[in-house]
Amino acid sequence: MNALVEARNLTIAYDAPGRSVLALDGAELKVEAKESLAIVGESGSGKSTLGMAIGRLLPLEARRLNGDLLFEGRSVFDASDEELRLLRREKLGFIFQNPMTALDPTMRVGRQVALALGGRPKIHEITVLLERAELSDPERIMRHFPHQLSGGMAQRVAIAMAIAREPRLLIADEPTASLDSSIRDRVMATLTRLRRETSSSLVILSHDLHMVGRHADRIAVMYAGRVVETGTSDRVLRFPAHPYTRALITAAASGASRGVRLEPIPGAPPVVTARAESCAFAPRCLARQSLCSERRPETRRVVDRIVACHFAERTLAQHQVGIEEPSG
Amino acid sequence: MNAREDVNNAWAMLWRRDRLSAIGLVLLASLILLGLFGPYLPLGDATKIAVGPRLTPPSWRFPFGTDELGRSFLPRVILGIRATFFLSASAVLITSCLGTVLGMTAGYLRGAADQVIARGADVLFAFPALLIGLLIAAVFGPGKSSAIVVIAVAALPLFVRVIRSVTLGLAGRGFIVAAEVAGASPMRIMRVHILPNVAGALVVQLTYALSVGMIIESALSFLGLGVQPPDASLGSLLRQGSAYLTFAPWLALSSGLVLSGAIMSVNLVGDAIRDVLEPLKGRSLT
Repeated sequence: MNALVEARNLTIAYDAPGRSVLALDGAELKVEAKESLAIVGESGSGKSTLGMAIGRLLPLEARRLNGDLLFEGRSVFDASDEELRLLRREKLGFIFQNPMTALDPTMRVGRQVALALGGRPKIHEITVLLERAELSDPERIMRHFPHQLSGGMAQRVAIAMAIAREPRLLIADEPTASLDSSIRDRVMATLTRLRRETSSSLVILSHDLHMVGRHADRIAVMYAGRVVETGTSDRVLRFPAHPYTRALITAAASGASRGVRLEPIPGAPPVVTARAESCAFAPRCLARQSLCSERRPETRRVVDRIVACHFAERTLAQHQVGIEEPSG
Repeated sequence: MNAREDVNNAWAMLWRRDRLSAIGLVLLASLILLGLFGPYLPLGDATKIAVGPRLTPPSWRFPFGTDELGRSFLPRVILGIRATFFLSASAVLITSCLGTVLGMTAGYLRGAADQVIARGADVLFAFPALLIGLLIAAVFGPGKSSAIVVIAVAALPLFVRVIRSVTLGLAGRGFIVAAEVAGASPMRIMRVHILPNVAGALVVQLTYALSVGMIIESALSFLGLGVQPPDASLGSLLRQGSAYLTFAPWLALSSGLVLSGAIMSVNLVGDAIRDVLEPLKGRSLT
């Protein structure tokens, strides 16, 4: 069976006056039907560009240099305006980081949900949809303006609107980052439940490894415009095969137990202006070898995942043996 | 709560918080009412000649005095208020519709349409209104319709620029992208989502453009390019009065003061509207 979404060597540049910056440098990714996949990475790693490219929702400055992105086997870049409109309307649902900007401030919630449902839905259809997103008292919420809702309620409304047309794929860009930490998990649980009910796929763009580990089947780690490691969440988080993934996990505070030292990643992510001919992570990598700065690591299958690192086997083997590599 | 209570509460709050704007609102309302209904009040005939001696100072019979043809000046000032408000308001209303559509198109569609509209607005903005006025009056002849065209052209960039910049800020917002994902056409997005969100800025800009329009109208009429006698606008009355400034100052003073008051009241009301709209926007949109 074909993957629902497939990015093949996707290379996208943002044109700025005087130079262009590569947001995606040959990104490879597959999203299967009915799975939830988290794309994690630092700011500027290209995860938003990759997520938005699925609906061809890229800003005007973005230019595709190479590669393609297929949705249900068809290129979104070759689609006509009408095909694209139908794809977005029937197949895609977007959930944004800040629910306050995702809702129109001048329109009552009920009318916005009605627009998302399309046609002339009955009041009853709207309340059912809001109830599915676990909003209590939907009749009252329908009459509210967005600024009268709490962040969590607004995000639930946004989720209800995204699933209104039962899309094949939901794309959630940092869906809980702007919410109070006490309700993050509950909103994510609602999103996961609705995804199962509508049997759609979910792509979460996030940098919260802890949250991602619990709500995503698979993880794709991005660095400098490339997907550097893809695998099932529990395997990737327990036994990272790419040094960057390992560095991310040790730097994340939420998963650490008391007394364990958090290791920040030295340096800053690079600004890529041309196709990287070496490993983009090499300057910050603690396990780098001379090969890393000489050849671009190709994306390849290593045991149970896909990695772009020359020494992925060695990193994996360390976990099995459970020893640190002697320096040298 | 009924409508009358709402109005009373709003008025009480305005009076407490911003007395100057409250005064401006009263002044503007009374000027508009006077312009609308003044000609039907028993204040005398605006065009009848020699109802009294020529150039008499203000008295009970002629509150604003009389002009050089012995016409009572008060009904003429009321006629002037009517003309000035009517000309600038109709021109500004026409141009606000056009400017809003152009501004939204430029800000939302970007690309070539944006370049053409935004640069065109810049050119218009850089062009002095009076020069446009002379040009149009020379081509079409002076008169009310020429004045309306001049005000509309001069005020157009005010709307295009503001609406475009507000639209630019909106275009990246989630709800616009969500509407695009939902397959809404650009026309529909502009009508359903962008228009209500630029409405606040539009209303504030309307008041500003109205005061600019009144200044332009008065200037044109002062130069004799606008309203033609025997009709009167505040600008033409001011010119008429300026000829007799030394021995009948009440003519220039009365029309000039009413003109200043009208422009000031429009600006005060505009400020009050902005005060009400902007903090609310800041709160709900963050």
